[in-house]
Amino acid sequence: MTTQVLGITLQPSHTIGRAEFSGPGFRNPVAMARGADDLIYVVSRSYEYRPDGKRVTICTIGEDYVGEFARGVTTAGEGEASSADGSLIWPTAIALDREGNVYVADEWLNRISIFTGEGAYLSKWGTPGSGNGEISNPSGLAFDQDDNLYLVDSENHRVQRFTWDGKYLSQFGRKGNGDGEFNMPWGIAIDRHGDIFIADWRNDRIQKFAPDGRFLMKFGTSGAGEGELDRPTGVAVDKDGYIYVADWGNDRLQVFSARGEYVTQTTGDGAISKWGKDKLDANSEMWQERDIAQGLERERQFWGPVAVAVDDDDNVFVVESARSRIQIYRRQLPTFFGGRL
Amino acid sequence: MARNDVALMAHLMRRAGFGAAYGELERRAAAGYEATVEDLLHPERHPTLETDILERRFTDWKEMNALEVNQAYWTYRMINTQRPLEEKIALFWHGIFCTGNSKCEHGRQIQLQIDLFREKGLGSFRDLLLGLSADPAMVFYLDNCMSHRDAINENWGRELLELFSMGVGMDGEANYSEDDVKECARAFTGWTITNAIPRYPYGRYEAGFVYNQADHDDADKTFLGETGRWNGEDVIDLIVKQPATARFVSRHLYNFFVADEPQVPAWQNTPPRDLAAIQALEAEYYRSGYDIGAMLRLLFNADFFKDARFAKVKSPAEAVIGTMRVVRDFTTPKPGLHNLAMNIRYMGQDLMNPPTVEGWHTGGEWIDSGTLVERINFAADQVGNLELPGVRDIVERVSTASDANDSSVSAVSASEVVDRCLDLLGGYELAEITREQLVEHVSRGGELTPGAADFSQRVGQTLQLIVSTQEYQFA
Repeated sequence: MTTQVLGITLQPSHTIGRAEFSGPGFRNPVAMARGADDLIYVVSRSYEYRPDGKRVTICTIGEDYVGEFARGVTTAGEGEASSADGSLIWPTAIALDREGNVYVADEWLNRISIFTGEGAYLSKWGTPGSGNGEISNPSGLAFDQDDNLYLVDSENHRVQRFTWDGKYLSQFGRKGNGDGEFNMPWGIAIDRHGDIFIADWRNDRIQKFAPDGRFLMKFGTSGAGEGELDRPTGVAVDKDGYIYVADWGNDRLQVFSARGEYVTQTTGDGAISKWGKDKLDANSEMWQERDIAQGLERERQFWGPVAVAVDDDDNVFVVESARSRIQIYRRQLPTFFGGRL
Repeated sequence: MARNDVALMAHLMRRAGFGAAYGELERRAAAGYEATVEDLLHPERHPTLETDILERRFTDWKEMNALEVNQAYWTYRMINTQRPLEEKIALFWHGIFCTGNSKCEHGRQIQLQIDLFREKGLGSFRDLLLGLSADPAMVFYLDNCMSHRDAINENWGRELLELFSMGVGMDGEANYSEDDVKECARAFTGWTITNAIPRYPYGRYEAGFVYNQADHDDADKTFLGETGRWNGEDVIDLIVKQPATARFVSRHLYNFFVADEPQVPAWQNTPPRDLAAIQALEAEYYRSGYDIGAMLRLLFNADFFKDARFAKVKSPAEAVIGTMRVVRDFTTPKPGLHNLAMNIRYMGQDLMNPPTVEGWHTGGEWIDSGTLVERINFAADQVGNLELPGVRDIVERVSTASDANDSSVSAVSASEVVDRCLDLLGGYELAEITREQLVEHVSRGGELTPGAADFSQRVGQTLQLIVSTQEYQFA
């Protein structure tokens, strides 16, 4: 049998979401995670003046609404003392542990809140600061295969590894632009070998590390050309090692090979979601407005692609903060399965 | 550094910007007054804010959809800009070329108009009017998209003349006729915008300007006494050369940057309070080819400006931002910005959402019993917050007041504390009786000894009393 991987293509599947402060929809979503079966968890950061829109939404890939949890609070006092358990101010990241519990990072409270998969509040941890195990603006979360939690400690320009309940284990990185150094890193992904990919946001590059924090490689430079990056926010790695980068400043998704070579890109293929159709049906004059609208093709394009996720079923998810939706692609391999021709 | 030089710099910075903390005033005064005026007139010499970091923390600033989001953004810009006149001139034009969110319902679209004011606000008035005529928020707000070759809508044509360029009249005479309004509207037929994408399900998109030749009335028009196949651009060329326009722009600049004038509708029959100043500005308008920056250079360097300290009631934006720039809070992104920005609304200036196309009435009309309480409570809360770096800086400077070199004197006198606080807030001057009462109040607490447990608190209280005076409401 011949199996030759030449690259991949991204086939638009469908779009989910709509702009809402509660219920079916998202508002200024910034992160998502895949759950069991076909569940996804989406973190909405909302607008400051609408803290009610800050929440975690549970829905399915097929856009069935399951529920929502956590809640936004209007203003911050000093640290977490003024913010009740389970509340959110500046949520940034989300990850699920092996048991399906949900971890949400808040970069203002410097707090990791833990919920059950159904959204019941369990516990929290996080101490502001720059010492070992202290955090400043956590912006990315990912579990490794041993259920340890890697946390992108953005304002400390490093990555720290914790046990699920917040016990400090190790760290790597410091501020700079050399190999293994960071400038306000954001997203994180861990591949099936346990290697770690970091969106080194203000250095406009992706860096790859071994599980022990040893620098392995980097790719990307500042710019808008193929393979160049403008403030990459999110990163994901699929089962074959392809690397997906939310190229936030360029409003596109780029795909790289396991060696960091440019493969392909897309600027979006947004379509009307199921919830979107419901909303338009309820405001039917808007269907007519759409008929005469000019520049409607802009609706297809990414606007603020802030996070990217992949699953083992070949789905690629792109979360768009400025469009309150997730565009889903199918990853397609030009692979020929069969005997010799 | 001469005290008066710093006080004069405080005056310049309040008017050409939103005020500054004392350290900045000292630095600028050392650089020189005229050099500072030039610096302000060249915002491009200074960097813009770091948009990437702001959009990372305020993730809703990428979309900029809701009015409140845009208000928070503009508030942050005004507090933190290194280009104060760029923001101030945008605020100036926004007060004249009003466009309201209540009709547009798309904050981002209005923010783009504010960007136009930032970009062109210090340049040619002709270019600015031309940009405004093609600004999608304005085209929608004043219905020019509803004005067609065979059925004109006069709204834009009327307000362009009445509120945006010439004014209804001057020296008791009308500046234009009803026919001119109609001809102006005809000239602007075909200046329209793209059909909007509805807000559901993903949010709005900005509209684009479109010139539709097929909907343009290309026939002869007689406008302000001149006949031709005028299009919008021709009409603007005719408008900007009118003496009424020179007068109108000059009075607006004077009213905003120098001293409060009567409300705009009264200008037809009320002469300027300083005709010589207005005439100097008018002359510069023509000499410079309608250049707003050149007019402001003349204005800021003129004695009529330097002698006009505290001749204006602060607008709500000036009241809030001026205090914030002194106390130096919100110099980095953090939650609470929305609440801060709302103070401007509570004081009567809902930015990007003026009450009518006439904009806000200014001067003494900013103040009523409700808005005055908002102003005082807001400012007193800020300057009384001893955690804020700007307040701590003031306390530190008061504690090293004039007696500091004399080791035999450890206390600072009450009058010294009051005077230093007035200086450090930006060269404020109180009526003598008010000052005496303040000094008496401060001295009632006993000696003020730097380092003593209650020193900081008493300085903070002194600041709170100062910002509660009538005098602090003036810029």
